[in-house]
Amino acid sequence: MFKETLKHLTLSLRELRGSFNEFKIVAASIFLGVFIISAVGSISGNLKSEINNKRIEMLGGNFELSTTYQEFPNNIKNWLEKNGRTTHIIELRTMLSYNSQSLLKRRIVELKAVDNNYPLVGKVLISPYQKVKLSLGTKKNEKKILIDKSLKDQLGIDIDDFVYLGKSKFKINGIIEKEPDRIFSFATFGPRVLLSANDLKGTGLIKAGSLIKYKIKFIPNNENTINLAFLNDLVKGTNVSIRSIENTTNNFNNFVDRTSIFISLVGLITLLISGVGISNGVKGYIIKKTKNIAIMKSLGAKNSKILNIYLNQILIIFLISIIPAIMLGVSIPYFFSPIISQELFNTFEPSIFFQPILVSFLYGLITCILFTILPLLKTYTIKPIELIRNSSDNSLNQTTNKIKVIIIILVSILCVLTMNLINDKKLSFYILISMIVSFVLIYGLTNLKFYILSKIRFKLGTTFEYVRKAITKSNSFARSIVISFSIGLSLLIILNIIESSLDKRITIAVNQQAPSHFLIDIQPQQIEKIKNTALSFLGDNNFNSQPMLRGRITDINNKSVQDLIVDKEVEWVLKRDRAFSWSNEMPKNTKLISGKWWPENYNGPLLVSIGDKIAKGMNLKIGDKIRFNILGRSFEAQIFNTREIIWENMDINFIFILSNSNIENAPHSWIATTKNVGQNLNNSFVEKIISEFSNISSISIEESYKSIKSVLKLLIIIINSIALITLLSGIIVLAGIIDVGKKDKLYEVAILKILGATPKKVAYLWFKEYFIIGLISSVVSLIIGFLVSYVLLNYIFNIEIYYDFKMIFVLSLLVPTLITIFSLLKMLVLLLSKPLIVLREYF
Amino acid sequence: MTSKMKNEKNKLIELENIHVDLKSSFETINVLKGINLKIFKNESVGIIGESGAGKSTLIMCIAGLELISKGKIFFNNLPIHNLKEDDLALYRSENIGVIFQSFNLLPSMTALENVNLPIEISGNFKNNEMAIELLTAVGLKNRIFHYPHQLSGGEQQRVAIARSLISNPEILIADEPTGNLDKKNSEDVIKLLFQLKKDFGSTLILVTHDTSVAKLCDRIIKIDNGLIVK
Repeated sequence: MFKETLKHLTLSLRELRGSFNEFKIVAASIFLGVFIISAVGSISGNLKSEINNKRIEMLGGNFELSTTYQEFPNNIKNWLEKNGRTTHIIELRTMLSYNSQSLLKRRIVELKAVDNNYPLVGKVLISPYQKVKLSLGTKKNEKKILIDKSLKDQLGIDIDDFVYLGKSKFKINGIIEKEPDRIFSFATFGPRVLLSANDLKGTGLIKAGSLIKYKIKFIPNNENTINLAFLNDLVKGTNVSIRSIENTTNNFNNFVDRTSIFISLVGLITLLISGVGISNGVKGYIIKKTKNIAIMKSLGAKNSKILNIYLNQILIIFLISIIPAIMLGVSIPYFFSPIISQELFNTFEPSIFFQPILVSFLYGLITCILFTILPLLKTYTIKPIELIRNSSDNSLNQTTNKIKVIIIILVSILCVLTMNLINDKKLSFYILISMIVSFVLIYGLTNLKFYILSKIRFKLGTTFEYVRKAITKSNSFARSIVISFSIGLSLLIILNIIESSLDKRITIAVNQQAPSHFLIDIQPQQIEKIKNTALSFLGDNNFNSQPMLRGRITDINNKSVQDLIVDKEVEWVLKRDRAFSWSNEMPKNTKLISGKWWPENYNGPLLVSIGDKIAKGMNLKIGDKIRFNILGRSFEAQIFNTREIIWENMDINFIFILSNSNIENAPHSWIATTKNVGQNLNNSFVEKIISEFSNISSISIEESYKSIKSVLKLLIIIINSIALITLLSGIIVLAGIIDVGKKDKLYEVAILKILGATPKKVAYLWFKEYFIIGLISSVVSLIIGFLVSYVLLNYIFNIEIYYDFKMIFVLSLLVPTLITIFSLLKMLVLLLSKPLIVLREYF
Repeated sequence: MTSKMKNEKNKLIELENIHVDLKSSFETINVLKGINLKIFKNESVGIIGESGAGKSTLIMCIAGLELISKGKIFFNNLPIHNLKEDDLALYRSENIGVIFQSFNLLPSMTALENVNLPIEISGNFKNNEMAIELLTAVGLKNRIFHYPHQLSGGEQQRVAIARSLISNPEILIADEPTGNLDKKNSEDVIKLLFQLKKDFGSTLILVTHDTSVAKLCDRIIKIDNGLIVK
């Protein structure tokens, strides 16, 4: 067996001698796809491993226990301190103000008050270098804080400047470069400010009902006995929630997984487009090797032997291309380690992971064989009699049952690998189906276009008729060019339509529906005065306020939430504290989906109104019972109605609104929004409120939208750049096709020149030929792009479609221009060939 | 060739009413229109005729390279006309050595590798000893590691002759082997071919335009318009 293989391999290598150059396009195609998959796999593997290694540092301990509004019960606090190492943290949002040359500047910040034990694990990096313990606290009557660099830039403040938090004046003692336990805090409303817990007390910011988070980071003395279940038992019946390193890292890992799935899919699409390049490259190679194959057949070689020789050669080329692709892929984390260190981890030491190497190898191998097998079957149709006369049978009807089975097996392995890569059966099913449907659509539409083109007749002798014939002739590669470019262009058009629709949606929301500002942490005794001020500043109906407190769902229909199975999309509702409101009056603009609102004078058992989609995701209906834990007390409420929640309007949207059943006596705060009545009026109102009430913070919706849009823009740029790689593989396919068809084009230019055509005239003919091929590709992509984005936006995103026709037009011209310029540049040298020399040497 | 040798017992190839029709999109050309022929062991047969008469097609049918439209072909009394492609390949590798007018060597292989190729294709390990012996016999002992493009036309044809003999075939088929060579090289190649035919005890079927070369054969067959006329 080994000897047989060796014999075949030696013969294949000997036959391959001097032909390596013919495979450069095949090699480039394999390289690009495999490189992306291995690079993405390596980066995500490294990130996950790094998170796994540093998860204690990132959470700040083995466990993070937290409560809202109230401090920890003493028994829990004492137990934790006795059984391990702890650090106590208080977090809240407030306005920081800075008086710059009698101009008061304000900014909402995230305060984090820490004790002397902070951090339990890792280090806070401060500029200039100092220890966190020594950089905070009161010294010489000066209270010291540390601030984020972003706050320094936004307010133009620096070290040694004085700022105000609540009633207290603080001196900036340093800039926070890195906070070890901050990586998992995705949603933040403002820059971080670190201060000592003692100094927080004097600010007057801690008020009953204010949204304050108390946290204890905990490293147990005995890690074997003190686990999550144990601690859950310990805090049972309180409003303490616990995050462990496991469930925290899961979220981050999911994020990394989802991102790498997307990029890997682009890699896979690139690889599939490369497949078209591989297929054409091999087809061209086999055509060039026709004589050799005929010679070997005349010497007694069987078809299987020939197939074996050339398959071996492809595999040799595959190995040659895949080794540098994988090597470069696995070294990407090393190239990016300075950025990853700076953005995510203090120190990042990349490693090489086996799984991405194996996955990219298998993807590459299967794609390579899958797209090679049909062109290789061309060898079956080559007859030895070709040595004395041309008799090749181009029908390529050798797809035997054995080959069909091999193709089905390979496609199945590819599907299994993709499902394994995505690790979500439902999602991978949709993705595979979409990929297959898109490919079939692209293939079908391309063939339809060429069929129509083959039926059209232009006036004989015109350049259009000449070009039409060149494109539709039986051995033309035009279809392959169209297919390979259409995949990438369709992707770009789909992304563009989704982007413009999302952008439009946000813009409409900002301009028409969304409030101007949010005011948070309003104390109950302050609300009436604020309402009156709003009336004089903003007029009637332009101020909306609701009471708010936080709590957790513990049971639904007497079943603990830990035992409930709900849709993945709504799991977040049950995971942590949620904000509640209450009202006997139906809030303005409420659209009830089922049930009715309770009477305004209602004072019976607690009722709840719930967001309709959330109710459906949790299989809840009217009459079902939900038990909440609010400030350590347990309340049960019956669902009375469900209502529509439109998150995009950015207004006050509570999932749960309770009836007024004495719950209003619990310590709480108010939240309010102002409608946009003109920037100056809104700003002066907000300015008046926050200068009068130092505990109230304001959030500008416009600024929030700006940051959302900038994140969205960045995401779109990244996605589009990756999608552009698919066009690059289209160019590689085109380069291969031009190489394969070079001999035909040389012949064509020689004959045309003999018949009197100038190089300019020939170039013009080619320009038309390639531009029309590009246009066909654009039309196919536009149809696919419009169709897929319509389905996605209508049925999945539920967003109204908005077309940015200018951009779509630019994208549609991109491919014809790219194809024409690249082809003409590559074939320019052919135009200068001498016809007689060409005919003598080549034909 | 004596009449004793020409008895049925020595019959190597028999062609019965062979027709070859070549179809194109416009027309069907009847290249061979009913050839009947017997070729005996160890004999040399010269086939002559005008261009397009069907000479090459006839020998390609014998080599199993051309598929016939009608008729029967027997090799050692065994039918080969109904063999499948792979069986025909096996038949060629075991029994036939072909020499083409345009040499048809693989450009990526040295003279030695080209000579060894039929053995390797048949699934055996290369036989360098025999290949060198054959290359020595054709006068190319010093050129064994040269590639085809480093050899003259005459030298390339000698390599092709050596290659055709490596499997020790029963039949040597030569399709105008001197067609691409000058006079001196043609004479040398023909001399060599007949000498090796004698040494190896093969049957030689030679297509040529040159009647003086054909006359060196035991028998001459003339083809005209797809039929044997003499």
